[in-house]
Amino acid sequence: MELPLGAGIVMNTETNIPLLEVHDLKKYFPAQKKFLEKQAPPVRAVDGISFALKAGETLGLVGESGCGKSTAARTLLRLIEPTSGQVNFFGTNLFALKETEMRNLRREMQIIFQDPYSSVNPARRIGNILQEPFEIHGFQDKKENAEKATQLLEHVGLTPGHFNRYPHELSGGQLQRVGIARAIALNPKLVVADEPVSALDVSIQAQIINLLLDLKERLDISYLFISHDMGVVEYFCDRVAVMYLGKIVELADSEQIYNSPQHPYTTALLNAIPNLESGRIKQKASIKGDIPDPTSPLKGCAFHNRCPIKEKQCEEEIPALKEIVPGHHVACFLKQ
Amino acid sequence: MSSPELDVQNLKVSFSTLRGKLTAVNGISFHLNQGETLALVGESGCGKTVSALSILRLLPEPPAEILSGKILFAGQNLLSLNAKALRDLRGRSISMIFQDPMTSLNPVLTIGEQMAETLLRHTTMNRQEALKKSAYLLSRVELPSPKEKLKHYPHQLSGGMRQRVMIAMALSCAPRVLIADEPTTALDVLIQAQILELLENLKNETGMSILIITHDLGVVAEIAQRVLVMYAGEIVESGPARSLLNSPLHPYTKGLIASVPKLGAVKKKGTRLEEISGNVPSLDQRPSGCAFHPRCAWAIDKCKTQKPELRPADTERQWSCHLEPGSL
Ligand SMILES: Nc1ncnc2c1ncn2[C@@H]1O[C@H](COP(=O)(O)OP(=O)(O)OP(=O)(O)O)[C@@H](O)[C@H]1O
Ligand SMILES: Nc1ncnc2c1ncn2[C@@H]1O[C@H](COP(=O)(O)OP(=O)(O)O)[C@@H](O)[C@H]1O
Ligand code: SF4
Ligand code: SF4
Ligand SMILES: [Mg+2]
Ligand SMILES: [Mg+2]
Repeated sequence: MELPLGAGIVMNTETNIPLLEVHDLKKYFPAQKKFLEKQAPPVRAVDGISFALKAGETLGLVGESGCGKSTAARTLLRLIEPTSGQVNFFGTNLFALKETEMRNLRREMQIIFQDPYSSVNPARRIGNILQEPFEIHGFQDKKENAEKATQLLEHVGLTPGHFNRYPHELSGGQLQRVGIARAIALNPKLVVADEPVSALDVSIQAQIINLLLDLKERLDISYLFISHDMGVVEYFCDRVAVMYLGKIVELADSEQIYNSPQHPYTTALLNAIPNLESGRIKQKASIKGDIPDPTSPLKGCAFHNRCPIKEKQCEEEIPALKEIVPGHHVACFLKQ
Repeated sequence: MSSPELDVQNLKVSFSTLRGKLTAVNGISFHLNQGETLALVGESGCGKTVSALSILRLLPEPPAEILSGKILFAGQNLLSLNAKALRDLRGRSISMIFQDPMTSLNPVLTIGEQMAETLLRHTTMNRQEALKKSAYLLSRVELPSPKEKLKHYPHQLSGGMRQRVMIAMALSCAPRVLIADEPTTALDVLIQAQILELLENLKNETGMSILIITHDLGVVAEIAQRVLVMYAGEIVESGPARSLLNSPLHPYTKGLIASVPKLGAVKKKGTRLEEISGNVPSLDQRPSGCAFHPRCAWAIDKCKTQKPELRPADTERQWSCHLEPGSL
């Protein structure tokens, strides 16, 4: 299949080129400069991450609040401009595209946000919200657009009765279905789901996860699935990247990550998941404290102040992400 | 056995709305024992927060109205206390923490100023002493460099730190009862685990009782001794946490348990989570009979017309469903 990108760019999606390749992506935010104060160092929200995603594959991006997951997502979709690095979408360097070319490509790469309420216009009816993607991408036939919007409602488990409702008349779970419908409207190849279930009740979370799994099978979508909960990610992902303070600290197949996690941070995330059967956090609070301030990263391994197994070397040197067995990458001195 | 710390009897709360007077909490009864952690569980909109706020009379009245009930605490009925007595009680004998600490912290005051204020209101301490006590309280909730943190504003702290500050403030007058409304729902799993452990340790140290509200049975398994499951304004099942989680009697409880993602449960790619279909009904659309029947996979004809009563299954457990125990 050929994807017309406008301006003479054509992409071939049938070669072995990965759907998405991210090379050493960085996004620094300049710190607010206060009057008469020295310019503070920038926030290194995303500090050199690299990974690839094959067509049809689902990659989980996990880590706790503030580690840079959303910034990574928005930067690689070029919703915000990167500081440096390269992102290829089917081999096309996104950061080299002009605005118009980027706009054409956007229909292939969509995003679902965490908070369903703040991601829609509260003054528009659901039906109109769902017609937006068609209007933006030049589909003029109003009647046809409305029909497609109605079909979308059914695709995501809502009813035509929701067409004329306003966002505040829907529950969080129903509105997240609208967010999903809008994301899949134009048959994208890639959907970035940024904590799509974190704001929802556990019961509704299960409904939405199942819906995303169904859509993946039906529509052949690849997901970049962002979450802080490795329990949720396990239902989704072929591979998992664990992020800590702007860097990937472990990257492996789901099986490897869940059966033999290597980085102590990954282990901590796994241990933190409440266990219904035993009813006790497996190792009580396996790590203490909060994620450090990203403007003043620690010397050495960024995790060393919370790490239960750190050694002297960790306070001095930064561990690089290394492949320890095929496909399993870890950034920890003690595991390499 | 000693008498319960808090005894709620037949509490019924309604709201006046454009669609008429709607019942949000429909005659619930429960008790909280001394030193116990009791969980109130159910999906968003089931009436958990309204129940909790009623205990401290924190609901805006009107539109809210407490139609009936008794809430017995330390020998008095909280529902018949005057405004001054209630103010003295809040934060001193019964404290509450909320899901989003940001909404209950004042953004323009430092942590120290806010903490001292509570202490000045309820004790005879002077400013100096109140600040010293505040630093001590922050160290008890394991906040690093507590003296420094007193000078910070809420927005300078992470979500987990703010929740620790809220807990420290709630505990400042050594309350008998702590009501925690979804205290970890806005936090990620790592920080959630830390906060749950902290609550448990503080409870063991002080002997207070905790009423924790959550929609996540994973949280219940970690912290609660006993559970109340709430649906559409009513308690549909109650019992000791272990037996309720291991062998739920009510289809709703079973559904809530099944929807929690379980590590290692994905044996085959594409495994689905078990879900409860549909949504919690809005207050003006309460289904007839068993309110859960439109979502219930076990529903029988009778469920549409006849409302099941809450009845005892054994000495410790209760449930309200037409099915016999062991049917699920
Ligand atoms: N526009 C911005 N200006 C300055 N700093 C920012 C900006 N956006 C994000 N940051 C900072 O970058 C870091 C990463 O933020 P990001 O939102 O990507 O984290 P996250 O992993 O998605 O967290 P969460 O789980 O809370 O969504 C944080 O320290 C955040 O405060
Ligand atoms: N001030 C209010 N006015 C009208 N209805 C309200 C008000 N506060 C809560 N409700 C309704 O009461 C029901 C129970 O709400 P709540 O106790 O907050 O649920 P939960 O805490 O279980 O999520 C919901 O249907 C909610 O919309
Ligand atoms: S490098 Fe050292 S501090 Fe970092 S995770 Fe490994 S053991 Fe811990
Ligand atoms: S009474 Fe009927 S509808 Fe209600 S929970 Fe029991 S089986 Fe389901
Ligand atoms: Mg985010
Ligand atoms: Mg609530």
